[in-house]
Amino acid sequence: MSYLEYSIRTVPSGPAKILHLNWALILLLGAVACTGFLMLYSVAGGDFARWAEPQAKRFALGLAVMFVVAMVPIHIWRNISALAYAAALILLLAVELFGSIGMGAQRWIDIGFMRLQPSELMKITLVMFLAAYYDWLDVDKVSHPLWVLVPVLIILVPVALVLVQPDLGTALLLLIGGAAVMFLAGVHLLYFAVVAAGGVGAVVAVMWSRGTDWQLLKDYQYRRIDTFLDPSTDPLGAGYHITQSKIALGSGGWTGRGFMEGTQSRLNFLPEKHTDFIFTTLAEEFGFVGAITLLVLYALVIVFCITSALKMRDRYSSLLVLGITVAFFLYFTINMAMVMGLAPVVGVPLPLVSYGGSAMLVILAGFGLVQSAHVHRPRSR
Amino acid sequence: MTAIHPHGPTRVPLRPLARILHARATGENPDRIEADNIAQRREQMRDTLRRKSARRLTLVAALSVAGFLLIGQRMWAIANEPLAEPTGPATVVAASGRADILDRNGTVLAMNMPTQSLFADPLAMTDPEGAADDLVRIFPDLDRDALLRLFASDSHFEWVRPHLSAEQRQAVHDTGQTGLGFGTREMRFYPNGPVAAHLLGGTRVDLKSADAAEIFGTAGVELEFHNWLSDPANAGRPLVTTLDLRLQAIVEEVLEGGVALTGSIGAAAVLMHAPTGEVLALASLPDYDPNDRPVPVRDPKLAGTDPTFNRAVQGVYELGSTFKIFTVAQALDLNLVEPDTMINTRGPMTVAGARISDFHDYGPALTVSNVIVKSSNVGTARIAGLIGPERQKAFLESLGLLSQSPLEMPEARTARPSAPSWGPVESATISYGHGISTTPLHLAAAYAAIANGGHRVTPTLIAGQRHEPGPQVLRPEVAAAATEMLRQVVDHGTARNAGVPGYNIGGKTGTAEKPGVGGYDEDANIATFASIFPTEAPEYVLVVSMDEGSLFVNGATERTAGWVAAPVAGEILRRIAPLLGLRPSIAGADASGVDRP
Repeated sequence: MSYLEYSIRTVPSGPAKILHLNWALILLLGAVACTGFLMLYSVAGGDFARWAEPQAKRFALGLAVMFVVAMVPIHIWRNISALAYAAALILLLAVELFGSIGMGAQRWIDIGFMRLQPSELMKITLVMFLAAYYDWLDVDKVSHPLWVLVPVLIILVPVALVLVQPDLGTALLLLIGGAAVMFLAGVHLLYFAVVAAGGVGAVVAVMWSRGTDWQLLKDYQYRRIDTFLDPSTDPLGAGYHITQSKIALGSGGWTGRGFMEGTQSRLNFLPEKHTDFIFTTLAEEFGFVGAITLLVLYALVIVFCITSALKMRDRYSSLLVLGITVAFFLYFTINMAMVMGLAPVVGVPLPLVSYGGSAMLVILAGFGLVQSAHVHRPRSR
Repeated sequence: MTAIHPHGPTRVPLRPLARILHARATGENPDRIEADNIAQRREQMRDTLRRKSARRLTLVAALSVAGFLLIGQRMWAIANEPLAEPTGPATVVAASGRADILDRNGTVLAMNMPTQSLFADPLAMTDPEGAADDLVRIFPDLDRDALLRLFASDSHFEWVRPHLSAEQRQAVHDTGQTGLGFGTREMRFYPNGPVAAHLLGGTRVDLKSADAAEIFGTAGVELEFHNWLSDPANAGRPLVTTLDLRLQAIVEEVLEGGVALTGSIGAAAVLMHAPTGEVLALASLPDYDPNDRPVPVRDPKLAGTDPTFNRAVQGVYELGSTFKIFTVAQALDLNLVEPDTMINTRGPMTVAGARISDFHDYGPALTVSNVIVKSSNVGTARIAGLIGPERQKAFLESLGLLSQSPLEMPEARTARPSAPSWGPVESATISYGHGISTTPLHLAAAYAAIANGGHRVTPTLIAGQRHEPGPQVLRPEVAAAATEMLRQVVDHGTARNAGVPGYNIGGKTGTAEKPGVGGYDEDANIATFASIFPTEAPEYVLVVSMDEGSLFVNGATERTAGWVAAPVAGEILRRIAPLLGLRPSIAGADASGVDRP
C-alpha cells in the first residue's frame, strides 16, 4: 500500500502529534546519550566542559531536529527523498573536489556552528532514497535484473566517493545498510547469495595466493591481516589499539573499577579514548555489567524500532524505519566488535556515546524520520 | 532468473462473464465487480508481500540477535580473562654471558653491561616525519634523511641506534611516537676507554633482530679468544691477561706525550717481563676507544694513520742499530771476539761492491764495546764478516726474529718479518739492522733473551701459565757482557737521554730511514730504543718506537733515536720503576756522615 492509499483521517494532526510520538524510544535514546555524557566526563578526568558539555548541547540540538523532522508528515519526506539523496551526493562530490584542492583531504563542510560531514548525511539519505525507490517500484519488478542494477548504483556511487576519502568504516556502513534495505524490499535471495559467494571467494583467493607467484596483496598487507587476526604479534604497532583496549576491557572485570577510576583510558594508554574507543572506558569503569547494560539499551532501541515498523502499512515507512534501524545496529555492533578485537579497526564511532557532532545530529535526524513514520502511520478505523 | 510471482495461485478473472451477465440482469453496475476484484487482488498481493517481508525481517532479526550474542559472549570472555601486561619486542632481554677480561691484578679491562637499543617498526609508524624530527632532536648524530629512508622501508624491524642511555631512552619514550621500540641487550663495555685498546681489540653486536644478541670479537684478544670468551662452559671465569693496567696507562700516557713533542705520526711500545715473556704493556698510537671501534682504513697508503693498526705487533719496520747487539753477542758467544777486542772501523768499507759507512768517523779502530756504544756500522759489519751469513741467520732465527710472533693476537700473525736473500752484502747490513724488518714485539722478545741470561723467550698475553726457561741461545756470561755494553750506551753512548738517575738501564738506539720513493727517505725515520733494566739483575725489556718523529734541539732538527725515542723510554722507565718495585740507588745514601745544619 502506498502512502497515497491510506486514510489521512486516522492520522493525528496539530499538537496532538506530540502525544503520538514514540516516547519510550526517546527515553531510550536519552539514556544512551546520558551514558555518553558520563563517560566523556570521566575520560576528561572530571572535566565537564571539555567533552561532555558540548556533547550535551549537541544532543539537545539533535533532539530539536528530531522533533521537527517528526512533525513533518512522512509522505513529504518520501517526496523529497530523491532530492535529499542528490543533495548529499553533490556535497560529497564537493568535499571530494574542493576539499582536496583547498586544504588537504577534508571530509567536512563548515556550516557555521558546526562541521557537517556529507558522508554522515549520506547514511540517512541513502536509506530514504532506496525506501522511496522500492515504494515507487512495482512489486513484481523488484527482482528484475535491470531494476536491481539501479539501487546497486544508488549504493555504489556514494560508497566509492566515501572510500576514496578514505573512510573505510563509513563506506562499509553505507554498503551493508543499503544492501539491507534491498534485502528487506524483497530482492531475490540469489543476488545476495552470488555477492556473498563472490566475497568469500575473493577472501579465499587472497589468502590462498599468499606466498605463491600470483600473490594478490603485498606482503605488508598480509601482515596487517595477521595483526588483525592476532594483535599480540604486533603489540606496539597496528595491534596497539586493540591490545590496550583489551587490557582496559579485561581490567574492568565484572563490576569495573568504579566511575572515574579507569586507569587504561585516563592515563592516555588509549588513543581516541573519547571517540571510537569510548566503550573501553565504560567497560573498564563499570565492568561487564555496565557494558552489557549499554548493549541491552541498544538492543531495546532496535526492538522498539522494529515493533514500530511492523505497525506501518506503507512500504516507504517500513523500509525507511527498518533501514535506519539496520544502520544504527551496524554502527554500534561494528564499533563494539572493533573495540573487542572482533573486527578490524575501521573508525566507526559508538552512536550517541562517542564524542562528535555530525554523527550525533544525523543519528537523531534519522530517529526523527522513524518518529515521523510512527506518528503518521495509518491507524485501523 | 525468474521474477518472483506476487500473485497467489487462486487467480480470479477481473470480469468473470457469469457475474457480469448476472449483474447486468439485476441492474447492478458491472464495473463494481471489476473494482472489487482489483481490490481483492491487491489484498492478496499485499499479503504475499507481507509474508515475505516478515520472513526477511525474521532473518534480519535473527542475524541481529546473533550479533548481540556474539558481542555479549565476547564481553563475558574478556571480563573473565586474567589480566596480562602486553609482551613484545620491548621486553626482550638478550644476555650474552661473555666472559670478562682482566689484567694481571684483577682489574677489569672488558665487561658486559645491559643497555637499551632503539629499533623501529616502519610499518607500524603513524608519523614517520614526526618520529624522524623527534629522534634527530634527541640524537643529533642521526641523519634525518637517512631516518626517513629507513622509516619508508617495508619491514617490521630496523635498528635505529644501539646503546641508549637511560635518559635517551626516556626521551624517546616521551615522544609518544608509534613504531619505536627498545631491545635490551648486553653490550661489551671497556671501562678504561682507549687504554689497552689494541690489545683488547673490540667487539660488534650482531644487529640482525631484537633478540639476536651475540657479541663477536672483531680484533685483539676479543677475537683471538672469542670462542673461549663466549663458551658457556667458562661462565663466570674471566680471561686474565698478563697486562698491568697501571703500567699500560703510564706507557700510553708518556708515549702520547712523546708523539706530541716529536710530531710523530705514530708510535709503539712493548714492556715485557724478560724471564717469562709476559707482556706487561703493549701500546700503539694512534689509538681508539674500543667501546666505539672505528672501521679499519682499507687504503694501504693511509695505513699509517689507521687507529686500528697495531704498530707494536703489526708494524714491520727496519729497526736499525738496535740489531747490532745481536751481532756482537753472537760473536762473543762464538768466542770470535772479546769485549775489548779492537775492531777496524775505518770507513767507508766495501762488501762485495756495496759501500758501508758510518754516521760519524770513529777513527781507525774501536773496541767491541765501543762499536756498540758509538753505534758503528762499519765495526758491526766487520764483526758480521767473522760470523758469516749462515750462522748469523741461524742465530737471529733462534731469537725468533725471522718467524711470525707466537703472541696470542690475530694481528701478530699478520706480521711476517722480512729478510730477502742472505748474501754477504745482506749479512753486513743486517748486522746493523738494515735489510731486515721486524715488529717492535719481535725486538722486545729478542732483547728479553739477552736480559734473562740467554734463554729464548716466547711472548705471551695470558697470565697463569707455567713458564719453563726457553732453549739457551746465548751463554749467560755473554748475555751479561752484552747487557753491560748496553748499560754503557745509556751511560755515555748514543742513548744518554734515556738515563734515569738512580737506575741502571741498558739499551740501544736504532734509527732507520723509511723506504720512500726510489730508496730511503732521509726525513722519515723509524726511531727505536730497546732497553733492558735494571742491568744489575735484568728483569724487564722496554721497546719504544717512534714513527717519523723529529726534535728541534740546539738549532738543529734531530731525527735520531737518541733524541726522539730514548727520552720517551727514559720517562716511561722513570715512572714505572716504582710500580715494578725497583728502588733507585742513591749516591752517598750512607747517611751517617751527613752534616745536618
